[in-house]
Amino acid sequence: MKIDPKTFTKDYLLHLCIQCGTCTGGCPVKYRSPLNMRRLVRETYFTDPFPSLSKRAEIWACTTCSTCSLRCPSGVKNVELLMAIRNYLANKGEVPSTIRDALENTLMQGNPWGRFRDRRADWAKALGVKIFGEATSETLFYVGCAPSYDPRVQRVATALVKIFQNAGVDFAILGKKESCCGNEIRRMGEQALFKKLAKDNTILFKKLGIKKIITTSPHCYNAFQNEYPDLNLPVQHYTQVLVHLIETGHLHFSKELGTSVTYHDPCFLGKQNKVFEEPRKILASIPQCEFMEMERSRERSLCCEGGGGRMWAEGGTEGKRNAEIRIREAVSLGAKTLATACPFCLLTFEDSVKTSGLADQIAVKDIAELVDETTK
Amino acid sequence: MNIIVCVKRIPKTAEADIFIEKDNKDIKKDNLVFALNDWDGYAVREAVLLKEKFEGEVIVLTVGPDESKEVLTRCLAMGADRAIRIEEPIPNDGRLIAETLAKVIQTGPFDLILTGVQAEDDGWGQVGVALAQILGIPHASIVTHIHIEGGKAKVRRELEGGLEELLEIKLPAVLTIQTGINEPKYVSLAAILEAEDKETKEMTLEEIGFSPREPLDATIDQVSFPPTGKRAEILKGTPDEVVGQLTEIIKRKKGS
Repeated sequence: MKIDPKTFTKDYLLHLCIQCGTCTGGCPVKYRSPLNMRRLVRETYFTDPFPSLSKRAEIWACTTCSTCSLRCPSGVKNVELLMAIRNYLANKGEVPSTIRDALENTLMQGNPWGRFRDRRADWAKALGVKIFGEATSETLFYVGCAPSYDPRVQRVATALVKIFQNAGVDFAILGKKESCCGNEIRRMGEQALFKKLAKDNTILFKKLGIKKIITTSPHCYNAFQNEYPDLNLPVQHYTQVLVHLIETGHLHFSKELGTSVTYHDPCFLGKQNKVFEEPRKILASIPQCEFMEMERSRERSLCCEGGGGRMWAEGGTEGKRNAEIRIREAVSLGAKTLATACPFCLLTFEDSVKTSGLADQIAVKDIAELVDETTK
Repeated sequence: MNIIVCVKRIPKTAEADIFIEKDNKDIKKDNLVFALNDWDGYAVREAVLLKEKFEGEVIVLTVGPDESKEVLTRCLAMGADRAIRIEEPIPNDGRLIAETLAKVIQTGPFDLILTGVQAEDDGWGQVGVALAQILGIPHASIVTHIHIEGGKAKVRRELEGGLEELLEIKLPAVLTIQTGINEPKYVSLAAILEAEDKETKEMTLEEIGFSPREPLDATIDQVSFPPTGKRAEILKGTPDEVVGQLTEIIKRKKGS
């Protein structure tokens, strides 16, 4: 949605704000940046020269976890307002340089890291995966940018391929034809680029006769499920698929895990899309997996700060990272493994487990990896 | 102040796998993405910043095939006022490019010509300097700062060994722009779509009254990969293994 000076108060329901402060109270970066959502809503409501507000660096601190909007008793669209401010800035070219590079890379190479498009499916070379164009299927396994290129997350994509093959799932990937879903692009303010990606991807999916999409990342899941205007295809996050495979007897566990596991709800899977049960059901069905629940779980899960374009942002926040706070929570609970189901959570936790020196006390794993380890 | 910026469309090769064409005269380009030459992006941004200060017009100019239009559109989105494209495959001969550009530039008034220091693909760094010679005006290369005052430009040039040269140059002049002279802005897709409506004039060599001389100063006989050096060691394995090997090497070399 664009900022229209005449209507934005109503567009984002700013006039409904009762200044209760619930938004700021729940904000995961309020201690780490000057971002104050309550004040931002109030000042945007009252300030006519809107551009002055948009000069503030803290606009880029928001992770778009959406805790504020989801908790707001009046239904103020805080996160949409923030994305609209970023859109206003992006259209003027005024974005931080690392965000600029991520956006330009996505336009050129189809991924924010600017990695070579032809190498997108290199990770899958030895796995015997069908690729659309050479083969066909009704089910698209949409891998995503981080699982395609990041060596750590490639292990998650590989685990998923092995699980699907093991359970007899017929699927194919797009290979080098796969482009960014645009979820983070929209959140970094590049609405026009998001629209282009959504349009191009939708046309490609329909042309290939795809009937169903499975995603690695909750972020891609969110884009396809909620933000692609003309897609109209069933979309599942892989945790939803795995639960079904386990419950219908297509996936059998052959090994014991033999350790304790706690689970971190990714914002885009949990609080934003209400997928809470499936990851827990998977963990509950793994043999010898002692599940422990953290105090802050489900809707109250603490954002890892990997969303909203923060993967490509530099600075803007200070103090201890949320991912490190989260690792410490898991360690103090006594869990030997912190599991999650999102590439960004996985990467922020992997960084923090090393920087906090806790790598010998806890392992960071994606649920897909735990399932792959115990179903071989 | 009227500024002409000469730009080039180049293939991006930093992350790409490079293969050589069968005739050994060029690299394969069909799997590469193309973009505005990095140096030229800084030159266009600098021209737009100067225009904001002194008013006038920024014209972007390129020699290249139809595909080159996309980099002109990008320059227009960055704030250039109009664009001119000379329809011709991009020659390998830097002086020929300069002569072609000069033919168009000579038809109108201008105060300043900016080019990038060099192009990302051939890296010859000739066009700007040759252009100044052909037009008979002064030039400065590898420029890192421009200050315009009273028909003169005070410019800083980057020299070897971290030295800087401060020059005063009479306008009109050609300056070849070094990266880092400014901070390029993000060019949004919305701005690019809007810029498609701005004027882009397309001309053939015939229309500009130019017939290339023969023989050319430079043609490409052969393209090849650099030979692997004896002292280069490529570590192989998973990232974990590579880091392990690297750490061992550093430990071994430490103190030696």
